[in-house]
Amino acid sequence: MSEQQNFKVTIDNITIEVPAGTTILNAARMIGGEVTPPAMCYYSKLEGSGGKCRTCLVEVSKGSEKDPRPMPKLVASCRTTVMDGMEVKNITSEKVLDARKGVVEMLLINHPLDCPICDQAGECHLQDLSYEHGASGTRYEFDRRTFEKEDIGDYISLHMTRCILCYRCVYTADQLTNKREHGILDRGDHAEISTLLGKSLDNEFIGNVIDVCPVGALTDKTFRFKNRVWFTKPVDAHRDCPTCSGKVRLWMRGDEVFRVTARKDKWGEVEEWICNDCRFHKKETKDWVIEGPSKIDRHSVISQGHYVNTEKPHVLIDKVIGKQPKLLLDIHKVSDVNRRDVDLSKIEGPAHSDDFKKNQ
Amino acid sequence: MKLLLEHAHVEGIRYYDTYRKHGGYRSVEKAFKMTPEEIVEEVKKSGLRGRGGAGFPTGMKWSFLAKPEGVPRHLVCNADESEPGTFKDRYLMEFIPHLLVEGLIVSSFALGSNATYIYIRGEYAWIVDILEQAIAEARNNGWLGKNILGTGFDCEIYVQRGGGAYICGEETALIESLEGKRGNPRIKPPFPAIQGVWMRPTVVNNVETLAAVVPIINMGGDEYAKIGVGRSTGTKLLSVCGNVKKPGIYEIDMTQSVEEFIFSDEYCGGIANGKKLKACIPGGSSVPILPANLLLKTAKGETRTMSYESLSDGGFATGSMMGSGGFIVFDEDQCVVRHTMTLARFYNHESCGQCSPCREGTGWMYKILKNIEYGKGKMSDIDLLWDIQRKIEGNTICPLGDAAAWPVAAAIRHFRDEFEWHVLNPEESQKRNYGLAHYADPIHIPATA
Repeated sequence: MSEQQNFKVTIDNITIEVPAGTTILNAARMIGGEVTPPAMCYYSKLEGSGGKCRTCLVEVSKGSEKDPRPMPKLVASCRTTVMDGMEVKNITSEKVLDARKGVVEMLLINHPLDCPICDQAGECHLQDLSYEHGASGTRYEFDRRTFEKEDIGDYISLHMTRCILCYRCVYTADQLTNKREHGILDRGDHAEISTLLGKSLDNEFIGNVIDVCPVGALTDKTFRFKNRVWFTKPVDAHRDCPTCSGKVRLWMRGDEVFRVTARKDKWGEVEEWICNDCRFHKKETKDWVIEGPSKIDRHSVISQGHYVNTEKPHVLIDKVIGKQPKLLLDIHKVSDVNRRDVDLSKIEGPAHSDDFKKNQ
Repeated sequence: MKLLLEHAHVEGIRYYDTYRKHGGYRSVEKAFKMTPEEIVEEVKKSGLRGRGGAGFPTGMKWSFLAKPEGVPRHLVCNADESEPGTFKDRYLMEFIPHLLVEGLIVSSFALGSNATYIYIRGEYAWIVDILEQAIAEARNNGWLGKNILGTGFDCEIYVQRGGGAYICGEETALIESLEGKRGNPRIKPPFPAIQGVWMRPTVVNNVETLAAVVPIINMGGDEYAKIGVGRSTGTKLLSVCGNVKKPGIYEIDMTQSVEEFIFSDEYCGGIANGKKLKACIPGGSSVPILPANLLLKTAKGETRTMSYESLSDGGFATGSMMGSGGFIVFDEDQCVVRHTMTLARFYNHESCGQCSPCREGTGWMYKILKNIEYGKGKMSDIDLLWDIQRKIEGNTICPLGDAAAWPVAAAIRHFRDEFEWHVLNPEESQKRNYGLAHYADPIHIPATA
């Protein structure tokens, strides 16, 4: 028996070989692009996370080479491991897209949709998810669920109304700190994140719950209402920190540091946890050694107008459907602003219509 | 045919001496002369199916139990009976607690569990005392403790009270709760047979299932399998409530027709107050409701009997489920919309809040049903309800999502005209004048969705 067994799995007509024990979601992430199911609660760095939000549901149309029966229900791809010869349908399955639309709708019915005043807007996973999979309107006609405001300390603000109960912050506190002070109280749709008897969260790594929160339920009080994230520019920086790695991302506007967060990978997950000292107290440029602008997704709204160091999206749709998709409309033919020969990353500052005229 | 409740009416059967006099603990004596594998084999032969609701063959469940060297195994008795309409385990534990203790000792021996737990619903506080007394009596008479009957087998039974959550009746949530954690269902796999209580191999069985092990050992698996019909072997306890003349606990051998069960004097004695039968939920609140015409006869026109197969004949379109045996009967005056709303409120309150579709969807369904019931509904709400239940069903970690969706689906499927009546007659439904909600022809085969 070989030490490392590899399993062949086909996700949306794309075949990949992955080590045994990999989950469907991680196999899809290895392929990347559109075939990756969205994940609101799964967090690869947190043990035991996942399976709750149900946005990553996929259809297993063939169980494995040995047992080709399809799985009777849609399965949570983040907690289902691949079998050899498994065939998975994600965006090619009507059932999955329908169920996912349902999940997004359920997640939004009690969400306050206060994006205009939410600090998370612009980097919110729920926003991304609803743009991609949600419906344009809601069928919910009732009062949204509200909670009493709770103060959980000087650095972290809790907006329970925005919470989608992904449990990520609970796992973070469990696994990163030696004593967890908050958890889920109550049950069902009145369940809430809370601390024991209104105690404040106090631990030198507890600030990481802000980074793992997929929505604006846990936000940084030192950044609160200071700026919109898309006006700030992410810059990688580091410092000698006695408690953590000190590798962070600064969110700057001009020379001013507005916010410090951990560095996140392309799935929005923290690469290395940082301590509260780095996050909340080092808000001056002189505290940091600046490495350079962070890589960001080209589709991101972050760093609006400053398209430096962008990452090209990984487009796979032609492989999934087996042919080049037919465009209904080529935006480059009708719009001056989106001309291909204009490289937005070369433009200083926000793009202006004059920039496009110059090249003509 | 009475196996479990044979001596239920004997004075003092709750106490050890009387119970022993009536043949109690014979199965333990017999079982200890067998090997554990032989007991599992007997249970397999008996065809006993789990009495908790899903109806999974018990022998098969037992044979799945992983047996790694040096790792303790556990048997957990699920006494968290919280399904609305089901109260058979309460009766069993309250009146013949020794039957459960006896079944637990035999099953523990078969599965090699030295520490066996009874996870009992928090509201059954007085039964905890009864069980603990029975366990103490069994220990004093040498049926529990170290080296039972000189076989070298040690067994202790612990009673653990739950906090009163319906969700803790789901086996993995029960295990979490038993471990002292928040009762959230675990994601399966791994199944409890591999990693259960404290990550050790665990079997979770219903009270009635474990009690049924006693007659199986006493009479032999083959003899037990002769009772009943087809794959529905043995006897089943049914807890009957609703508009019948004689509600209560009945033990049946699953050969009776539904008509006989409801109308014969031996069982429910017919509908109370001379009313007509309108509908029935045959297996506890989470199984689909059936209108009278589909209840007594299947869609194919065959007589429906009180067995696992017959009750689920026709799938969910025209059938239902045996479930946990909570038989709820509705007479012609009952309002299905109101009933569905009550159940939706229950599931909304009892959802654990892990999975988004169940957490948000159950509340949404309840609010819509409340609107319809109180005359504020719209026609489109009925389709919306159908769509919501469809998006919950099958998309959650545990079966609570399904359990919340099925009653709503079945109510709309079979009683859509009643929902429409509520929408069209808002004033009457605000006055809750259900009598007007009658059909012109109560026995019609509805178009199935």
